Amino acid sequence: MGRASSKEDAGTLFHSLRSAYAATPLNLKIIDLYVGFSIFTALIQVVYMAIVGSFPFNSFLSGVLSCVGTAVLAVCLRIQVNKENKEFKDLPPERAFADFVLCNLVLHLVIMNFLG
Amino acid sequence: MRKFWVIFVASILILLPFLCSSFSPDTPTDRRVLVLLDDFAIKSSHSSYFNSLKSRGFDLDFKLADDPKIALQRYGQYLYDALILFCPSVERFGGSIDVAAIINFVDSGHDLVIAADVNASDLIREVATECGVDFDEDPSAMVIDHTGYSVSETEGDHTLIASDDFIKSDVILGSKKITAPVLFQGIGHSLNPVNSLVLKVLSASPSAYSANPKSRLSTPPSLTGSAISLVSVVQARNNARILISGSLSMFSNRFFRSGVQKAGSTTKHEKSGNEQFLTELSKWVFHERGHLKAVNVKHYKVGETNEPALYRINDELVYSVEVYEWSGSSWEPYVADDVQVQFYMMSPYVLKTLSNDKKGLYSTSFKVPDVYGVFQFKVEYQKLGYTSLSLAKQIPVRPYRHNEYERFIPTAYPYYGAAFSTMAGFFIFSFVHLYNK
Repeated sequence: MGRASSKEDAGTLFHSLRSAYAATPLNLKIIDLYVGFSIFTALIQVVYMAIVGSFPFNSFLSGVLSCVGTAVLAVCLRIQVNKENKEFKDLPPERAFADFVLCNLVLHLVIMNFLG
Repeated sequence: MRKFWVIFVASILILLPFLCSSFSPDTPTDRRVLVLLDDFAIKSSHSSYFNSLKSRGFDLDFKLADDPKIALQRYGQYLYDALILFCPSVERFGGSIDVAAIINFVDSGHDLVIAADVNASDLIREVATECGVDFDEDPSAMVIDHTGYSVSETEGDHTLIASDDFIKSDVILGSKKITAPVLFQGIGHSLNPVNSLVLKVLSASPSAYSANPKSRLSTPPSLTGSAISLVSVVQARNNARILISGSLSMFSNRFFRSGVQKAGSTTKHEKSGNEQFLTELSKWVFHERGHLKAVNVKHYKVGETNEPALYRINDELVYSVEVYEWSGSSWEPYVADDVQVQFYMMSPYVLKTLSNDKKGLYSTSFKVPDVYGVFQFKVEYQKLGYTSLSLAKQIPVRPYRHNEYERFIPTAYPYYGAAFSTMAGFFIFSFVHLYNK
């Protein structure tokens, strides 16, 4: 096993990941996009705090928590809606969505309060 | 019966003015002075000095130093405002006076004048040491100066010296310059350089030394040069003033009237500077000059007039104080440009020089620092020759209340934006998710 072959391995790994991902259903891809968006927003806020300092720390926390919280809730929705998941076979997707909406409502209520 | 009452009331009314003319903080000049003498010949040989004091309104009470009836206080109240000790050879004071009584007298804010001389007793030296001044330990030593002596017809032993090395202070020595040197014949003393309360008013010239004039020097003298002080003053922390002189004869009529010519200079002065020097110095010692009082400390927020109980950080405030100087008969406004106020909590956060309006009102305005806690407005004014002013007023400073911050903090706009964008994202996502086939 030389260096050239590990590079080839990384290349084949990446390609196989891409092709496997392309096979996922569209609604799951939309959820993934949503998760990616909220994590990206959280990262921007962390970089901003590192530059400017943590003066209104409560605002920083509430902003980051809103992003991380929606990411977590979106991941939960994805787990429950994914048809390949044996655990949630009997759970109707509407129920999963309703849970998602309620939890998001609570999350945003908390965020608004903590934002100052 | 009626006549008796009239006489009784009239006598009380006549006595009232005498009861009112005593030393008090409103009139700081001393009034009643006890003068202790070795013998009453001093009263006539130093009459010029005593008359100059009497003409300024002092009540002098002459007593012998070992008179058994002398007392500084009776039933806890002091009978005199100042004490003059013209008794260098007293071995033991009479009555209830001793070193401790004299020190307590000074500690309670009263003034003291001590004149030692060549035969000064241990008692007088002890009193002087308690006041912060050390006379030469050799009991027969005098100050000798072979280049700064006063020229006279007889070739003396150069113990009569003419000195013009005065302290530079208009408050202590008066505004008129003393042109003639001062005649001095007596013992010298030294001051501890660490002591910041003692000042050399008249120092010996660099060629003076302290030794016994009648014997040959076997060892180098311990006190030499300008370290020898001939006349010193002490201003204690409670503003009591003490004058210590090593020569009683410098107060005498003979020295006041005699002419003086310093060896090595050609000018012959008709009259020595003793009278002017000692008169001006006595004005300072007895609080006729250089006595300050600070009243009416006021602080308020800019734009208001009442004094708040506490300030908030970043408030603008104004501090003002009135300082007056006693002129001998009335309080005059004190004019200076170096009075400073500190806004102090463990260390001064703000130190500003107060600007005055020439009528005694000193004021300045500044911004409260961005630190909360319990601060003090401190004025610590110590100028050479003036009484020290020490004012402190405590004031708390609070941080912002939470409705005193800006409603929307500009640095937090990205976080507000992120939270709202997450909400918008959630709405859009839920639509897309529901209506996606």
